[in-house]
Amino acid sequence: MDELVRFDGAAKDYGTKTIGPLSFSVARGSIVGFLGPNGAGKSTSIRLMLGLMRPSYGEVRLRGLDPVKHHSRALQEVGYSPELPNLQTFLSPVELLTLVGKELSIDAHELKERIPRLLETIGIAAYSDTKIGKLSKGMVQRLSVAQALLGSPSLLILDEPMIGIDPAGVVHFRELFRGFVSGGGTIVMSSHIMSEVESLCSSVMLIHSGRIVSKGTIKDFIESSLGGRTVRVELGPHDDSLLGKIRAIAGVLRVGASEGGLDVAVEKGRDLRGEISKEVVGSGVDLLSIGFSRSEFDDAYVSATRSEVD
Amino acid sequence: MNLAKVWAFAAYEVRRASARKKVLALVVITILLDTVPYYLLRTSRLSVVPPTDYPYLWVTGVFVLQGFFFPFIALLISAGSMSEEYEQGTAEVLLSKPVSRDEFLCGKFLGGFILMSVVIILNSILTVCAATFAFGPQLALQVLPLVALAQAFSSLVFLSVAFLSGELIRRSSLSYIVASAVFFTSYIVGLYLRVIFEFTGDPLYQTFSLYLPTTPVSSLPLLLGQSQLPASAVSILQALGVATAEKSALFSVALIAVYALCAFGAARTYFNRVDVSKKVT
Repeated sequence: MDELVRFDGAAKDYGTKTIGPLSFSVARGSIVGFLGPNGAGKSTSIRLMLGLMRPSYGEVRLRGLDPVKHHSRALQEVGYSPELPNLQTFLSPVELLTLVGKELSIDAHELKERIPRLLETIGIAAYSDTKIGKLSKGMVQRLSVAQALLGSPSLLILDEPMIGIDPAGVVHFRELFRGFVSGGGTIVMSSHIMSEVESLCSSVMLIHSGRIVSKGTIKDFIESSLGGRTVRVELGPHDDSLLGKIRAIAGVLRVGASEGGLDVAVEKGRDLRGEISKEVVGSGVDLLSIGFSRSEFDDAYVSATRSEVD
Repeated sequence: MNLAKVWAFAAYEVRRASARKKVLALVVITILLDTVPYYLLRTSRLSVVPPTDYPYLWVTGVFVLQGFFFPFIALLISAGSMSEEYEQGTAEVLLSKPVSRDEFLCGKFLGGFILMSVVIILNSILTVCAATFAFGPQLALQVLPLVALAQAFSSLVFLSVAFLSGELIRRSSLSYIVASAVFFTSYIVGLYLRVIFEFTGDPLYQTFSLYLPTTPVSSLPLLLGQSQLPASAVSILQALGVATAEKSALFSVALIAVYALCAFGAARTYFNRVDVSKKVT
């Protein structure tokens, strides 16, 4: 089965507002990022996916099954870490994972081996017997990811997984998730941290006011939102004649001078980094760095959500 | 239904409910109610208790609490069982696993029932110990397991009523209030109906009172125990005003089963048809 998740016109009617109809699928082996402002419908989509909610109309399929009617079978091999996890404060991490292990029908002997290993991997082994109520927000978030990983899932559904985690933890989790996908796993994650989505996800889906307004690769998303891409060029001392030369390259839309270099807007579907580099070097100007602008993903998000509001 | 998963949820529910201060406070009150009266009776050397009754004084602790206190403990255990999961947002993680809603619901209810049964057994043991300590060896204790079993079975009425209330309302405080209101209304209406019956002699009032949920709960353990108790023990109960409104144990069993099954069935139907709430407070 290549599609792990499929929404066919699925919608949730809350009375005051409706999320959907949503139609999309998630292919095995991908990392899909759900983007969107608060209240856009990301968490509702995830809850529909998990069978915690019934769609008011349309269809949701998880591993080819209706997650409400065939909850147990559909949720096999699926790990979920909720946004701002509310875990049982009276249990310790080991006790919580033991309970989750029983839900997953993992053998008690196997659990005894697997839980310490997992707590070590996730970085909270030192707190394995501390009550969850006494753990910091970041620790609880780590534990939430741990319980999602316990059953060796093939699909991880993560709702804001990096909230409250320190920078070292973020780097650790990023590597962990990449390793999970390179091992054949699939991830659906929602996040407000654009850099995380950009660095992890193979494709993104922008949900706004309950509708999908954009989906595809990050490159497609940026191009469709901004009408092209922005190349950031850091240069040594140069004069204005270089701007004219770069502007003359076919496919360049605009060239703007900014601190220490240039921002070059290029047409949709064109990667002109090579041509721009050649022009700079050919002009005898020192090329310090060249690459797509770090802020273009943020800009694309703002542009896409603003155009929807407009 | 996977019974191992039901059992895992039951054990979890026992743990969860035990961690709550309300339930713990009630267990402490149960212990005090079981022991302090015997201690006071012994130290005050009251002559109202004839020495011939000493071996049967355990019946006071076992039967006096059952009509009022046990249903109240059942309400406190069960009203928060589902509602607190929604309020604290903890249901979401548990139900995002490969478990059926029935496994979760049945496990939670079973856990509440186990905890209630532990309270009942604790009450019986403490009562007998306290009575033995204060008034010497107790007799006719062979009836105690049957009485405890009947009390546990009777507790199903208010366990399931409160469970339903918690599932429907999904706010713990409000579900306690609603479930308590059902209990107190039934209790008070039952008293009034019996008083009116005494005055008017109209059997209709008595018949109505027999169908109230509190009636079989307080009657069944006494109906089953009374026949096996000696006259001295029965006279203690009569002196304390402990009497059965219902005369048929079978009718009480049937009524308890009907109330419990209807309330639990309604909770199950609702739970299976409605979305799992996000954190509601």
